[in-house]
Amino acid sequence: MTGASISRWTMSYFAAALFFLLGGEALFAAGFGFPVLPIEAPETLVVVHIFAIGWLGLLFCGALLQFVPVLVSKPLHAPDLALHALLLLIAGLLCLVCGFVHLAGYFDGGLVLLPVGGMFLAAGFGFVVYMVGGTLLSARPIGLPARFVATGLVALTATAILGVSFALDLSGVIEASFLDQLLVNGLSLHAFLGLIGWMSVSAFGVSYRMLAMFLLAPEIDRRTTSAAWLFLTVAVLAVIVAIPVAAYGLDATAGVHAAIAIAIIAACLFAYDVVNIYRQRKRRSLELNTQMSAVAVGALMLAIGLFLFLSLSGTLASQIGALVYLIAFGWLTVLGLGQLYKIVAFITWLEYYGPVLGRKPVPRIQDLINERRASSWFYLYAGCVAASVLALLLEMPLLFRLAALIQLIAVAALVIELARTRKLSYVAIAPAADGENLQHPPLFLPTPIKRK
Amino acid sequence: MKAMTEEIETDLATRIRAGLQDVIDPELGRDIVGLGLIYLIDASDTGEVRIVMTTTTPGCPASGFIVDAVRYAAQAVTGVFSVDVQLVHEPRWHPGMMEP
Repeated sequence: MTGASISRWTMSYFAAALFFLLGGEALFAAGFGFPVLPIEAPETLVVVHIFAIGWLGLLFCGALLQFVPVLVSKPLHAPDLALHALLLLIAGLLCLVCGFVHLAGYFDGGLVLLPVGGMFLAAGFGFVVYMVGGTLLSARPIGLPARFVATGLVALTATAILGVSFALDLSGVIEASFLDQLLVNGLSLHAFLGLIGWMSVSAFGVSYRMLAMFLLAPEIDRRTTSAAWLFLTVAVLAVIVAIPVAAYGLDATAGVHAAIAIAIIAACLFAYDVVNIYRQRKRRSLELNTQMSAVAVGALMLAIGLFLFLSLSGTLASQIGALVYLIAFGWLTVLGLGQLYKIVAFITWLEYYGPVLGRKPVPRIQDLINERRASSWFYLYAGCVAASVLALLLEMPLLFRLAALIQLIAVAALVIELARTRKLSYVAIAPAADGENLQHPPLFLPTPIKRK
Repeated sequence: MKAMTEEIETDLATRIRAGLQDVIDPELGRDIVGLGLIYLIDASDTGEVRIVMTTTTPGCPASGFIVDAVRYAAQAVTGVFSVDVQLVHEPRWHPGMMEP
């Protein structure tokens, strides 16, 4: 009952995710793929999947494995699968990327890697769905924030199935007309389910609880929150229903448009709730993670505004890259990096100081970080995201690459800050290791928790 | 005699409460007594102590460490023979329970 639960491999998920974020930013800065090349180019698919699966996917999986047990006050289901899932996801992504590189013509003989990668990824995500979903099932009836995660898992499953079917079709391993049709008509469904249905919906649910926790705001099941969850679930189901429509060769655009419209309403309700959480908080000063959450929600609202503007001006199709970029990097990445900064400090504290709490002087979690140093990098990163969106809208690829280079530097600096947190570099209180047999937390590999 | 026993019990509970002020919530950086996380300290005249407490959020990964710390800090108080710590989430903690 009172056992502390740290997902042992979460830090490894985060380390791998940051590796792929740095790699993706480097590719952007080097001009590999979009916007130097067309959005549908294989090179763009390389970069998109490095960010979508390597960065955001691993980040979200690691965070969910750690945070869903907190959401539902139950231990993680089948935690031993976490390492298997991580290895499958990394192997799958690398195969998939090699397959896309083959498609781009850089080498021959890699086409079979597409379905192999797709299968690995499906298995890896399947394990994550099994762990997180099993945890949710063990805690029924679940609260509102956890229901968002449950909806996200449904979307993740559908995203993975679509991804595998695309890989099978592109590789030619299976020749079937419905796979051809799905590839032609189903890309927007895949993107919606991954970016909105899984990641954004999960981020909404986790944010409700995390923000209330960190801001000391009342945790209330608001009617607006219930409505947001209901709308998002309907949107996800609408897109899932559109999958067989697309496979049949019919235009599924109407389903996606309806889902986007519903999701926009839900996102506005979410933003309204977030504003209320901030207004009702007892913690007056905002820490860096909650500052970044506010920036991220602002970016989400900007994305909605941009979507409406592009739709009304008839330029949505030509500027879709800028919109997706704003959602992926302004909303999801800023939110993810901000919370990562907090979670790493939290886990590090638990690993090192938890066992001696009450026995020896211990620092606060805030003492493990240096917000003054990190905040400049965070705001530089966020500013560069804005510059990148402008560069995409104004079709200035050189400016985009320059902004990506600065983002790369900012992320590298934040990685160093995270490493300093892991190394307890900022802690003024001497590590209390005398006679306690405490080990310094490893950088990203798991440490067994030793309880007194 | 009865009044004296109550006085001893109250004194022990008070000393335990004071001892628990060394235990902090790592996230908020405040002691758990000031945060209102200690719901009850029931100390018998034989030194058997029952503490009912909560955490700021159910399922917090730090819960186990905070409970252990409370048990350890209470046991360190002179006159305490045994300590039973119960972690509850009813009533649910809310920020209004914090001391100003």
